[in-house]
Amino acid sequence: MRYIFNFPDIGEGLDEGTIAEWYVEKGQQVSSGDALVKMETDKVVTDIPSPKTGTIVAIYGKVGETIHVGNPLVEIEIEGVEGEAAQEEAKTDFTTEPIEEGAGVVGTMEVAGNAAFLPSSTEGAAQSKDEENKPARKSLATPVARAMAKDLGVDINQVTGSGPAGRVIISDIKKFHSSFGQASMEKTIIPDQTELVSYEPLSQIRKAIARNMLESKQQAPHMTVHEEVEVSELVSVRSKYKAIYEEKEVKLSYLPFVVKATALALKKFRTLNSQLDMENERMIFKNYVNMGIAVDTVDGLVVPVIKDADKKSIFELAQEINEISNKAQKRTLKLEDMQDGTFTITNYGSIGGLHANPVINYPQAGILGVGRLVKKPVIKNDNIIIGTVQPLSLAVDHRIIDGGDVTRFLNQLMEYLADPISILMD
Amino acid sequence: MDVKVKPYKLPDIDILKDKNWPDYQFKTWIPDEIYIVLGQSNKMDKSLNLDQVAKDNVCVYRRPSGGESVILTPNTLVIATTIRVQKLENPRKYFKMANAKIITALSYLGINNLNQKGISDIAIGDKKILGSSVYRTSQVVFYQAILNVSESTDLMEKYLRHPLKEPDYRRGRKHSDFVSSIFKEGYMISIQKIKEKIH
Repeated sequence: MRYIFNFPDIGEGLDEGTIAEWYVEKGQQVSSGDALVKMETDKVVTDIPSPKTGTIVAIYGKVGETIHVGNPLVEIEIEGVEGEAAQEEAKTDFTTEPIEEGAGVVGTMEVAGNAAFLPSSTEGAAQSKDEENKPARKSLATPVARAMAKDLGVDINQVTGSGPAGRVIISDIKKFHSSFGQASMEKTIIPDQTELVSYEPLSQIRKAIARNMLESKQQAPHMTVHEEVEVSELVSVRSKYKAIYEEKEVKLSYLPFVVKATALALKKFRTLNSQLDMENERMIFKNYVNMGIAVDTVDGLVVPVIKDADKKSIFELAQEINEISNKAQKRTLKLEDMQDGTFTITNYGSIGGLHANPVINYPQAGILGVGRLVKKPVIKNDNIIIGTVQPLSLAVDHRIIDGGDVTRFLNQLMEYLADPISILMD
Repeated sequence: MDVKVKPYKLPDIDILKDKNWPDYQFKTWIPDEIYIVLGQSNKMDKSLNLDQVAKDNVCVYRRPSGGESVILTPNTLVIATTIRVQKLENPRKYFKMANAKIITALSYLGINNLNQKGISDIAIGDKKILGSSVYRTSQVVFYQAILNVSESTDLMEKYLRHPLKEPDYRRGRKHSDFVSSIFKEGYMISIQKIKEKIH
């Protein structure tokens, strides 16, 4: 008896596969389970085993050819089984194995002869019972076509099937959807101009900001200390070097000085350059200073990181700040530009703010807010003079940093900023 | 224009080559340079911008599993697994198993809105971040996936043509509109951390 073995639905719900390699040839003896052919579908390359022991008498298709599910792959001469007995065997094979998730699988693919279609859904059988009571016909369809119809909102009973026995297959659904579904979609999606509110989806960056801010506020009890430091000397140093830097095409703001001063202070107060590891009940102290710089962009806040900020000169810091700022505005920052920060500075002063309660870039231990420079009356040597004042706001994770540490850190930072030469001397 | 396709010899193939497959094994690795990997029956001229690939002298391999061509770079994570099997079952089962493990790991890292799309992709929303494919014999299922941690889609546009077959949810979108990365979706998580979590 000749047994025609048809290409089964291997479970992806696709209706075709490509022959990648034949393992057998005409006249070859095969045992049940031997690999016959290597088939490739969209995502899967799979060996298709022989369902029967026998001799290969015909092979359908060459390497590279596409075979549709249900079409013959090979014919096997089964020894010792004749005529209708073999057909019965084939039919029995067809129905013995359970079908997983409504789709054919390789383990159940012993489909022979003219019964070489996927098992139909039970809906076809149920139809005959209720046929008289139902006004509309109920289509036969492959499970994947049914699922696709559901996803696309297509009434599968309206679709004419082009598969075996008029079964609806996925290409029928696609065709139907593109001709009718699209048209109906176009009709229904008309924005209502009379709405009082409008809705816009969150950008990815906004979603990330929202998530990070929430996590920080939920995980770390914040404490913020505000200070002011008189920085007239810093102003004069900066104005002296600004022109020199410009010749080298580097813009010198106050920020490189603040970064350097903060980095040096962090080396002295390592708790602020740490993080709490609650899971393992320990502190993680960072022996390097990677300074995150919060940058305001049209898309939202991003925080590129200056690596080893404590080891870099003011010139190098100025250069790097210019670079990351440009990258942030052009949206060309890469993941590595924004990773492994150990502390963050947010310079809202460049926009105009004075003091803030910045939110820690969790799981870091602290964030320094830098306000705009203002001229103010200050007392120096018991004289009231006009000074240039730099507002500072330091927020810390109060679980690991006490008020005393914050104050001592700020004192050190202010000392550096008030006397910028000390930054170079330390 | 001389581009040669090499048989797949990248590190994850080791777990398939050793025929003493345990019930389950897992391997992740980070490529050290740019590689292009063709699916089992992809044709180079249909899948790749061959002039550009040749000009840049990019190594091209052909993997044992199916699917469309992919680019591996140091910003992508390759994930492979073998599952020893007694009988051949619906491959969706294996996609589901492996992808569920990856989705769980990524969720632990705080990544939201992950879901399996198409036959075997993992997406954030409707943007693909992972593609996977399977090679199976009667004894073993070999699953391979590429997770885009932080690679820009520029390289895909540069080297890969629009695939001949695409999942429904792609809806004709070009690489830059369809593919995303964990980084691009707003998650600043290092590739090492992701590798550790998935492993």
